[in-house]
Amino acid sequence: MIQDYLDSLSRELDFDRSLSRRVREEVEDHLWEAVEASPTGNELEAQARAIASFGDARTIAAQFAVISLAVRSRRAGIAAVFVIASVYVAMKARIAWYAAAQWAIGDDMRAVSGLVLQIDRYAFLVSMIIGLGGFIYIRSRQIPAAFHPAYRRQLRRFFLLCAATVAALVVSVSSDAVLTALQLRGPGLSAMSLVPILSMAIEVACVGFLVFHIRSVALRAASTAALMTT
Amino acid sequence: MLKGHLDMIVLAALAAAGSAHGYAVIEEIKQRSGGAFDLPEGTIYPALHRLEQAGLLTSRWTIADSGRKRRVYSLTKAGTRAFAERRAVWKQFSDAIGGLLGGVRPRENPA
Repeated sequence: MIQDYLDSLSRELDFDRSLSRRVREEVEDHLWEAVEASPTGNELEAQARAIASFGDARTIAAQFAVISLAVRSRRAGIAAVFVIASVYVAMKARIAWYAAAQWAIGDDMRAVSGLVLQIDRYAFLVSMIIGLGGFIYIRSRQIPAAFHPAYRRQLRRFFLLCAATVAALVVSVSSDAVLTALQLRGPGLSAMSLVPILSMAIEVACVGFLVFHIRSVALRAASTAALMTT
Repeated sequence: MLKGHLDMIVLAALAAAGSAHGYAVIEEIKQRSGGAFDLPEGTIYPALHRLEQAGLLTSRWTIADSGRKRRVYSLTKAGTRAFAERRAVWKQFSDAIGGLLGGVRPRENPA
């Protein structure tokens, strides 16, 4: 009977495998201890009592889902800061490489590159400010006990900040791609071009990683809401 | 009402017990409250996890005498501080309500 209950709890917690394993082991210890402490001599009856006192598996899973969502949101905030820092390092490394290789944009493209560079700078600055704001915002919120309307509003605000961060980063990385293309136009493709191309690939991968992370939090929020309503 | 104070109740039980696993926390709560807080036992575990994520508790696996794996929780320094703060706020609130109720007699029905 206890194994059936644990299986059902594990299924409900399937959205987070490591959490599911840990909770299963904790609850198993709890239920068997309750059975051992039961005054009744009938083990099946003691198991039924222990399970009844513990509560409905779905209700408990829903409470864990809220905590898991809050933890994931915090991780998304950390991911945003990590991605912004990585894009910055990639940008600086590429600029240092251009200086070392003495590559410069041709005179005919100076005006265009100047404009794109301004867009790049401001977009990156905006992404940095909003990204840090989002990180601080989600870190400063308490982990809620339930998926209540106030927490839903907090999550919505956080998603908006994340969306704005990603949008600004996409503009910044796209501008970087244009600038890199302009840089590579002069000397043409060679083994030396690998460094700027690789740094661009890192920037794109970082943004992709952030989008993936935020999407997974959004999906988790939707599944948590579904768990609450059913 | 109990739901809103669950965190404080769990912190209080762990402050009293030192370190304890979920079942022992529930027993501590039952014993110290004279059985008044007989909440669904399963609700303690999400609370323990939440308090751990908030940095107020720390936990580790041990092996019980029964041979089963057991997760044991204890207060962190931040948890001890948080409990002291919540206890002070609660005492202030309780004293204020006690003062209000202590001086008021239930009004008798004139009819």
